[in-house]
Amino acid sequence: MKSLLATLALTTALTLPNLAMARPVTLTTTLNNYGGDGAYLALYVTDASGAYVGSLWMAGDKSKYYEHLTDWYRATGGDAAEVNGITGASVGAGRTLEITLDLADALFDAGYTLHIDAAVEDMRDSPNEVSVPLTTEDAGTLARGRRYIANFAYDM
Amino acid sequence: MRKTLTALALAALLPAGAALADNDDNDCSVARSQWQPRDAVLQVAQDNGWTVRDFEIDDGCYEIEGRDSDGRMVEVKLDPATLRVIEMEYEDDDDRGGTRNPSPAGTVSPPQNGLFGNGTPPQVQVN
Repeated sequence: MKSLLATLALTTALTLPNLAMARPVTLTTTLNNYGGDGAYLALYVTDASGAYVGSLWMAGDKSKYYEHLTDWYRATGGDAAEVNGITGASVGAGRTLEITLDLADALFDAGYTLHIDAAVEDMRDSPNEVSVPLTTEDAGTLARGRRYIANFAYDM
Repeated sequence: MRKTLTALALAALLPAGAALADNDDNDCSVARSQWQPRDAVLQVAQDNGWTVRDFEIDDGCYEIEGRDSDGRMVEVKLDPATLRVIEMEYEDDDDRGGTRNPSPAGTVSPPQNGLFGNGTPPQVQVN
């Protein structure tokens, strides 16, 4: 019994610091009924100076269309390696994309901004549709999009 | 590389002033009254030995998806009035270096860009 408690204490002590460094964050993006094909969406982060830090999600699996996500493309050169392992299908009009990611705590309250670029075949490209500061205080707050995105929120 | 050569070859066929450098220049803007009928497009495909799998209108142009006479997957954009080839894109070009598609979520770990925690795969759903 004593050894079990000791094991528990030890594993808890070893696990907690890891838990404190990252947390599951759910990013919810709801699209308007814009009446077109599925939207390509690039979710990415810039730092306090506006420099690209990295991508969080790419909705749309064909890299040949990424040039239409214009701000993301300019920052990354369209490098598909930026979104390896964080890519899924494009999102249909009126649908809601819900992604849960294990994100570093250091991302919040440190001047980072989350952006979403959107593009739809045969319709106008829409870079920086959403731009929200990543703060623990703003978690759960709905941000409005401009063209294809109705709203976006992150929850933790 | 092959795509570049194809683009160059096609650019050489276009009249002076037309450009292929920018993707938007591959769009068509032709009045509906000037459009050739669908059958004429299918005839062009037949003349070129293309097997048509899908036929649609994209960026104001006719677009054919199918296979060329060598069996390669191909996407061809045609001017709806002149039926001239505007863009010819081989689907397998994506696998020939340069423009690879990314690995889907769950097949590899998220990138080491400092944003993610311990590499837990993303959970995603569309409602």
